[in-house]
Amino acid sequence: MSVVTTASGPSGRAKRASMPDGTVMSKGGRVGRMVVNVAAGASLLYLFLPIFVIVAFSFNQPKGKFNAVWQNFTFQNWMHPFADSALVDALLLSLKIALLASAIATVLGTFVAIALVRYRFRASSFVNFLVVIPLTAPEIVLGASLLTLFLEPHLITFNHQFALGFGTILIAHIMFCVSYVAMTVKARIRGFDWSLEDAAMDLGANPTRTFMRVTLPLITPGIFAAFLLSFALSIDDFIITYFVSGPSTTTFPVRIFGQSRVATPPQINVLASMILFGSIAVMAIGSWLGQRRARRLGI
Amino acid sequence: MTDPEVSRAEAVRMARAAMSRRQFIGRAGALFGTAMVAPAVLAACGSSGGSKGAGGGKSVSISNWTSYISAQSKKDFQRDTGIKLTYTEDINDNNEYFAKIRPNLSRHQSIGRDGFVLTDWMANRMINQVKWTQPFPAADFPNKKNLRAALAHPGFDPDRKSSAPWASGVAGIAYNMKTTGKEIKTIDDFLAVKGTKTVLSEMRDTIGLFMMADGKDIKKPTFADAQPAFDRLQKALSDGTISGTNGNEYVNDLGAGNLAAAFAWSGDVAQIAKDNPDIKFAVPESGGTLWSDNFMLPDTTDKPGLGTDFINFFYDPKNAAVLTAEIQYISPVDGVADELTKLGGDAAKLVDNPLVVPTDAFLAQLSIFGVLDAKTEEQFDKKFAQVTGAG
Amino acid sequence: MIERDDQGRKVARRAPWFLLGPGLLFLVAFFFFPLYTLGRMALSSRPSRFANPVFDWQWSNFNSAFSRYGGQFTRSFLYAALATVLALVIAYPLAYVIAFRGGRFKNALLGLVVVPFFTNFLIRTLAWKTILGDQGSVVGFFRSMGVLSSSGTLLRTPLAVIGGLTYNFLPFMVLPIYVALEKIDPRLVDAARDLYSNTWRAFRKVVFPLSLPGVFAGSLLVFIPAAGDFVNAYYLGNSQTSMIGNVVQNQFLVQVDYPVAAALSFVFMAIVMVIVIAYARVLGTEDIA
Repeated sequence: MSVVTTASGPSGRAKRASMPDGTVMSKGGRVGRMVVNVAAGASLLYLFLPIFVIVAFSFNQPKGKFNAVWQNFTFQNWMHPFADSALVDALLLSLKIALLASAIATVLGTFVAIALVRYRFRASSFVNFLVVIPLTAPEIVLGASLLTLFLEPHLITFNHQFALGFGTILIAHIMFCVSYVAMTVKARIRGFDWSLEDAAMDLGANPTRTFMRVTLPLITPGIFAAFLLSFALSIDDFIITYFVSGPSTTTFPVRIFGQSRVATPPQINVLASMILFGSIAVMAIGSWLGQRRARRLGI
Repeated sequence: MTDPEVSRAEAVRMARAAMSRRQFIGRAGALFGTAMVAPAVLAACGSSGGSKGAGGGKSVSISNWTSYISAQSKKDFQRDTGIKLTYTEDINDNNEYFAKIRPNLSRHQSIGRDGFVLTDWMANRMINQVKWTQPFPAADFPNKKNLRAALAHPGFDPDRKSSAPWASGVAGIAYNMKTTGKEIKTIDDFLAVKGTKTVLSEMRDTIGLFMMADGKDIKKPTFADAQPAFDRLQKALSDGTISGTNGNEYVNDLGAGNLAAAFAWSGDVAQIAKDNPDIKFAVPESGGTLWSDNFMLPDTTDKPGLGTDFINFFYDPKNAAVLTAEIQYISPVDGVADELTKLGGDAAKLVDNPLVVPTDAFLAQLSIFGVLDAKTEEQFDKKFAQVTGAG
Repeated sequence: MIERDDQGRKVARRAPWFLLGPGLLFLVAFFFFPLYTLGRMALSSRPSRFANPVFDWQWSNFNSAFSRYGGQFTRSFLYAALATVLALVIAYPLAYVIAFRGGRFKNALLGLVVVPFFTNFLIRTLAWKTILGDQGSVVGFFRSMGVLSSSGTLLRTPLAVIGGLTYNFLPFMVLPIYVALEKIDPRLVDAARDLYSNTWRAFRKVVFPLSLPGVFAGSLLVFIPAAGDFVNAYYLGNSQTSMIGNVVQNQFLVQVDYPVAAALSFVFMAIVMVIVIAYARVLGTEDIA
């Protein structure tokens, strides 16, 4: 990233004529440039089209049970965002599962990543393969296979007879997050200079201290990113959850799926908009903190 | 490194190679890691699904179809009985609900519900084939005496020991007058409508309506009799005359104006028509199907008494009338018509609506789809699934 | 890696397994082993319709999976392929502009790409249902333009399903392409421009080939979930557009024919794997992950 910015940053008038992508400001180039820019703008618009609809319909006052046809503008839904208690319960359950699942997956996945990057061992490429494979499995297969697992007790699961519900959803979510965490953290720490860890210990730090005081703070941003990724994956997951959720444990997406067939109260849109704006705020703050940190460290 | 965008899209960072060269990690991570992870993993493996317990006071948890209760009834029930009601509208299709509870009930694990409502044929399966229900404690169901005689002795539960009808209704044709521009009276009219049309995923209703149009008797259905109906449906689906099958979700599309016509259930249409008066309901001249949905107790609930209190409440004609005024389906309770009149206003008008308080002449137009033995049922279901494309 | 003494070497040899242990065990128990139980289920039969399936090498489940649902298989892969191509066409200019012309707004623009996906997948798809609805202004516009006949619709057509698939997995295409483009050294592009003296040719000869790893990763990240999806076909399609995901979902969660459903999932997974490997061979990449 920094390479690109420095290349285009301090350039004067003369340099600006030639863009980093090699675009020359010839007539044809200018038209081509326009076309590409317009295409990109159209793509962004396409990305946001349903979002506009979702937010707009959170202000709708539907006549019947379905918030699908525009009727009248109202603030009522935003005044009572938690009016649909079942929906709120489902959202709280989703948050709980997402927090737990991403916390556990982050721990499991981070250590896998550290092992893969930090150590060279005979089976490492095989292990890497094992960790990547779940990422290539379609969700529907993950859901279906977990369902078949949970139907019977197995030695590998300590002969535990699972009942579909909270526990099985949690397991499923941890499972599909672990590989994502491992790969994300791995990508982030791949360039670290591992030989220097010995230096810390040469200076008198014991292994625990070295890890806690030196290593962990350095890999934390990567771990944090992986945690947020897991959280986002977990809270949004429908297909796998739908297979393993059982009869009475309803996450937010499962609830929406059920609701979408019988009634869609505008509160769905309100909550979705809230999540959207909340996420944007988190992202903006994260970006601001990141930039401040980078500036302070002089990177 | 400044990477503020943190989302599921981070996944693609897998593709990214080396980052800026930085520092190092202690080998202590190994020991630290196992120490920290082990309890978490054990906790995760050991956790089992659970149903919500009663937790203090009396509470009861019921699953039902959508558009099947009034807010007033829920309030009244809790006030009169002192039982906290958790009411979930999570039944959309008999087969789907069966599939949902099957993993738990077949292993005698709780489904977190003390009662659910399923259609006659599924009640038959629940009571007689898989046997996942339990009888009502008679002492808790004094109002059972108000059950209409016509519904008191069905083949699948001759003495109504384990099932009590919640409501009955009619499957027929709903259409959008604005799109069709005329009344729809027959299945052929329906098929001739221009625009999007759907049929019900409830096999007995969809195939039943087609069979009656073919002049077949659905009280004693045979697979051979149903063939022309299946063929007709298959043809209509593959040439796009009918665009698909729906569970209860047709309610959405019909209300939103996305459907020109659909096979639909009477009460639903009455409720949609409140918002969209262009939506009409018709029983085809060849006949409509009549069905009942039945309240049952899962054998896993440890409080059958509370579940029975729930159904008992709705067998009081007064309460049944409040419910009927809202849902506009046929009540199984004697004396509802009088109570509706007492309620006055719009509710009183329902007495003259044959879809809510059926007359004999109206009932003569309707048939109940007969009981299929297990093998024939599987034949029907397989064929229907195949024809409707969902598998 | 240099170890200082024997003790350190021993720790180093065991250390990775301490770290890997919990995560790998979890994946083995809840990813790899379930594939075995799925396979076992695919070879089971039901003594009676609602009885629990019994494992008895029932290969015929695979026959019925193929013979009954060939259409859905073909459709799934066809729709997924079309959605992948569409996503590529839509995503590339966007990723390109962000990577090369984003300047200091680069991060903000990347943020804009992912923001829509902070709303739930189902809600987004439902929003498309509203947009494409028969009474909606999109259909009205197309009808007035003569693109659609006066009773023509978008909802419940293959077009709507493919559009939904394209939309829902689009960021998975944009981000890898962006990452690949962003890594390209601008001096290389300058050199290419000097050499070919034409932006389009410079793009074709240098930029595009260098972005191929991103295109490759993005295509897989779109294709795999799109082929296995059932939500888009469910909300936006009709019975003639149902995909293999709909069948698996229906067989497992409505018809409760677990063995056939398991066989279908297994076959589907196998086909996806073959496609992924073949694709990797043809395009060649040393690093998918």
